[in-house]
Amino acid sequence: MVVGKQDALLAQMRKGTLQYCVLALLADEERYGFDLVRSLAETDGMVTSEGTIYPLLSRLRRDGLVETTWRESTSGPPRRYYRLTKAGRAALDAFQDEWGRFRDAVDHFVERKAG
Amino acid sequence: MSTTPDKLVERYLKHLEVELDDVPRDRRREIVDEIAGHIAEARAGLEHETESDVRNILEGLGDPAEIAADARERFDVRPTASAPPFKPGWMEVGALVLLLVGGLIVPVFGWLIGVVLLWVSNAWNVRDKIIGTLFVPGGLLLPLGLGIVAATGGGTSCSPATGPGGVTIGCPDTSSGRPYLAIAGLILLLLVPIVTTAYLAYQMRRQPAAAMA
Repeated sequence: MVVGKQDALLAQMRKGTLQYCVLALLADEERYGFDLVRSLAETDGMVTSEGTIYPLLSRLRRDGLVETTWRESTSGPPRRYYRLTKAGRAALDAFQDEWGRFRDAVDHFVERKAG
Repeated sequence: MSTTPDKLVERYLKHLEVELDDVPRDRRREIVDEIAGHIAEARAGLEHETESDVRNILEGLGDPAEIAADARERFDVRPTASAPPFKPGWMEVGALVLLLVGGLIVPVFGWLIGVVLLWVSNAWNVRDKIIGTLFVPGGLLLPLGLGIVAATGGGTSCSPATGPGGVTIGCPDTSSGRPYLAIAGLILLLLVPIVTTAYLAYQMRRQPAAAMA
């Protein structure tokens, strides 16, 4: 029961922070969906179902945090590339500040002291 | 009979499309197209594609139901199943009862009131209202009335007689097969309004929230 609640909480936290991870991946360069998913999947524990990235990308685009361009690919059909908008960068910056504070605060209480 | 990778992908995308049914169309298209693109990219990166490779790609993407649930949450779409059930009011109950037996309580007029209630209520769409009106005018009045007429007047008109030379003269040929046909017709006339009423009662519950107005 308690474990189930904890799993649900972690899933919610993952879901809530995922969009900022995506925005951060787009901070320096534009990327296409498959490339984004691959980068996210390299870090264990961030994405459990890769397909859920796509509803998120669609939502970010509609919220004006990212914008997209189609580009020809050398290895197949054209790809939709995502890149940060001004609003997206502002959202990412604001989150980075808040998140740093939040993470330090939580760490302060829950982190086990070494040794 | 083995499943080809193309079939697996096709089935997955179709499943996804169905699961995304209540997500607005443009978003659904975008998500399905992007996931189809993802699968194509992943497959293009394989040297010798096997069926298990494709299965792993699809499994990595996740269950279409899970992706759809995530999309509904991201786009604030409520699952259609959570629409509040419609509660029939006096108008709907009155329409159903009077359409069926109103004609028996107050001949013809009772049924007419049922029709008026049927059309005034917004628990049904126009198609269902037309069905309710046409099948069958008068409700049970028509078949029961015809049944009574047939039982009291129809059956007694013919009795066999013995003609000259001992030849039995039966009833005219036309009447011999008719009773069954007439009874079948009556039963049909009896069943149709009952079926219509049951149909209307069923449709009423399926109407969306507009019925609450």
